[in-house]
Amino acid sequence: MGKKVLVVDDDPDVRLFSVTVLEEHGYTPLEAANGEEGLKLIKERKPDLIILDVLMPRQSGIRLYRELKTDKALKNIKVIILSGIAKKTFLRSQKALTEFGGKEVPEPEIYLEKPVEPDELAETIKKFLG
Amino acid sequence: MDIKKLLFVTKFEELGFDALQSLLSLRKASLNHVVFVNVIERDRVAMHRGAGYLKEEEIRLRETANIRFIDWAEDLFEMGMEVGVYIVVGSMVSEVIKAAKKEESDLIVIGRPHKGVLETLYSGSDVTELLRRAATPVLVYKQLSETTISIEKPFEKPLLAIDWSPASLRAVEYLKVLKDVINEIHIIHVVSQKELKGTSAMEIQSIRKKTRKKLDKICDIFEEIGVKADAHVYIGNAEQEIEKAAREHQASMIVLGSSGKTAWVERWLGSTPQSIAEDSIYPTLLIPFEKK
Repeated sequence: MGKKVLVVDDDPDVRLFSVTVLEEHGYTPLEAANGEEGLKLIKERKPDLIILDVLMPRQSGIRLYRELKTDKALKNIKVIILSGIAKKTFLRSQKALTEFGGKEVPEPEIYLEKPVEPDELAETIKKFLG
Repeated sequence: MDIKKLLFVTKFEELGFDALQSLLSLRKASLNHVVFVNVIERDRVAMHRGAGYLKEEEIRLRETANIRFIDWAEDLFEMGMEVGVYIVVGSMVSEVIKAAKKEESDLIVIGRPHKGVLETLYSGSDVTELLRRAATPVLVYKQLSETTISIEKPFEKPLLAIDWSPASLRAVEYLKVLKDVINEIHIIHVVSQKELKGTSAMEIQSIRKKTRKKLDKICDIFEEIGVKADAHVYIGNAEQEIEKAAREHQASMIVLGSSGKTAWVERWLGSTPQSIAEDSIYPTLLIPFEKK
């Protein structure tokens, strides 16, 4: 069984796209439609990598990322952000949340802006998981 | 009864980002999460004769909405707020109710309905339907272009119209939470002509005095938490007098408890909250009675 990669995105078309790329390259995809579902799956299945959208119902990728990176047991899981939201916004948002009394969190390993080509996504995943 | 999460329902033409920005003073009352909702009405994409389901049109509409929401969300995220989005195909009211339930939102904001008189009479308006079904307060926003008043901060100077129903008393509780957002509040009750029929001047004055006393007690609730509050008694037609009071006291919004009448009764006999929500130039906040 390949390494587990969790795709967290509310858009079923984007999930299908990422899952297809993952399966073609021998990884085991897991899926969640929002940050809340994503966090539950992360705790249950401990994926090796997370592909995370930002703008989602229930809980955004910004909050989920923050929860991950401030949790001792989960903070080492690698994260690729794949979103239509600009990286600059993501970083400013994390800064604002830190200023409101939250912990400082590191920048995401990779930030890809949607849309992304299948090869680019596959290459990026490969960099992390081999 | 905090206002932490707001559901912002828009078709873009009637409610834009400027409207949302005017509501951001609610952050002082713990607002930290905005959820955008765009409902693509089914008849815009579904089963057109000879064309079937217009998938490409659906994608175009979804992406158009998505691009606007991304732009708005970026501004809110940068303020440290949490943002979510729903772009769905379906019936407006059902999808809004579904999203409000899923998100457990504290306030629904929608634009003024644009249905014609006949259409509203036969199919009802989205506001009426929302009020009937939602357990969440609904703010019917009025755009600057639709109104002659300037609404930069709708919650700054509300006018609360009380009819002593459980819903209007719930509105008092709801507004108390907004003490850091409200500068001053005007609280009114409209006595109908019917209640005064056949009574003497003495009795009319006595009705006014009694009503005023009851209103003063509500004012005390607000004064105790540091909000300046004034009571006023009006006599006449409720819709007209509430609108008049809002004008006289330069209110920024009208707040009412919803009547709790059935949809059928509201459709055929009308209700004050429904009429004000649809016809008033003021943003109108409608607080539903508690549904179990």
